[in-house]
Amino acid sequence: MIADEATLARLMAMAQNGDRQAYAALLAACSQWLMRFYRRRVAPHSCDDLVQETLMSLHQKLASYDPERPFLPWLAAIARYRWVDHLRKLYRADETGFDSEPIAASEEPAIAARISLARLFQYLSPAQARAIELVKIEGLSVAQAAVACGQSESLVKVNIHRGLKKLAALIEKD
Amino acid sequence: MATTDDLIANLVDELRPVRRMRQAQGLWFIAAAIGLSVAVVLLSLGQRPDLAAGRLDPIFLMGSGSFLILGLAAAVTVVIMGRPQVGTDHRGWLWAAAMATVLPLAALITGIAAGPATALARSAPDHGLTCLLVGSALGLVPALLLVAWLRRGAPTSPERAGLVTGVAAGCFGIFAVSLYCPYNDVMHIGLWHSLVVVTCAAAGRAVIPRLIRW
Repeated sequence: MIADEATLARLMAMAQNGDRQAYAALLAACSQWLMRFYRRRVAPHSCDDLVQETLMSLHQKLASYDPERPFLPWLAAIARYRWVDHLRKLYRADETGFDSEPIAASEEPAIAARISLARLFQYLSPAQARAIELVKIEGLSVAQAAVACGQSESLVKVNIHRGLKKLAALIEKD
Repeated sequence: MATTDDLIANLVDELRPVRRMRQAQGLWFIAAAIGLSVAVVLLSLGQRPDLAAGRLDPIFLMGSGSFLILGLAAAVTVVIMGRPQVGTDHRGWLWAAAMATVLPLAALITGIAAGPATALARSAPDHGLTCLLVGSALGLVPALLLVAWLRRGAPTSPERAGLVTGVAAGCFGIFAVSLYCPYNDVMHIGLWHSLVVVTCAAAGRAVIPRLIRW
């Protein structure tokens, strides 16, 4: 079950006051939400790690949430930050068990779409988005990605570098 | 790596009540940043003679006012950056920055009209260097407070947050120094006082990101 915005906000406010039961429920709900959030935007084998890193960030930055504001846009900002950081750190994934469903075909509802990762990708040029998808998400080498998308290897590198820089600057953009 | 359930159990075990970062609390940080900077200047250097006498020069008022307002716009942006949320725009302070460039531009235009030698003399370089050094050093006070806020918070762009913190720190630093600096010439304010903001912005952009990354 994925909890709704109001429930999550309430659980979070209780957690901030030290309510452990509410916190356990919140973290369980957030881990499911994050799994969906990251799906198809990271290599499947690193999704668990990224969810865990994000939960640790949530824990560390608990005070930065204001219960008077919606919860999911806050969580999405934390999650996007961890995601861009993850893509930057990723040298090369060694597995390619990638779900080949097209990334644009999202069945997320409208509100979730505004804070989604797909939304961020829209701000990249198609070449940047493709280079990042192939190398950082599907785990291809730069050489393989160059063949797959018809760009030169140096262009693939430049597109990854510029694309990640752009993503890092757009984390709170809807 | 442990399973997510194990991690959640550990995090729940570690939970302690937190003090929330309210917007109002952030505004107190800003008030403290301005207040402390001004207090340091007034207590150590004293105030301008005309300020004490109640005769206020319009160039001084416009210069100090511009830096104060740019500092406020930048500092409020820093407060907002500490509490992330998808859908937040952090560029509002740029309009205040654009307004404040009127000061160096006015200095440049009058400087060109007067000729380089006269312009430099009118900028009072000896005293200007003091304003630059003292103003930039004083920027450390607001910078420390704003960095403390950002370290508690979760700025999603540490580079931008560092730059904006530097702008705020420089503005508050030179605002405080301007209460002491007796020079009213637009050449002096537009050049040396603006340089404090540029220096602090560059220092903030270079140094602060590594202090606030998470």
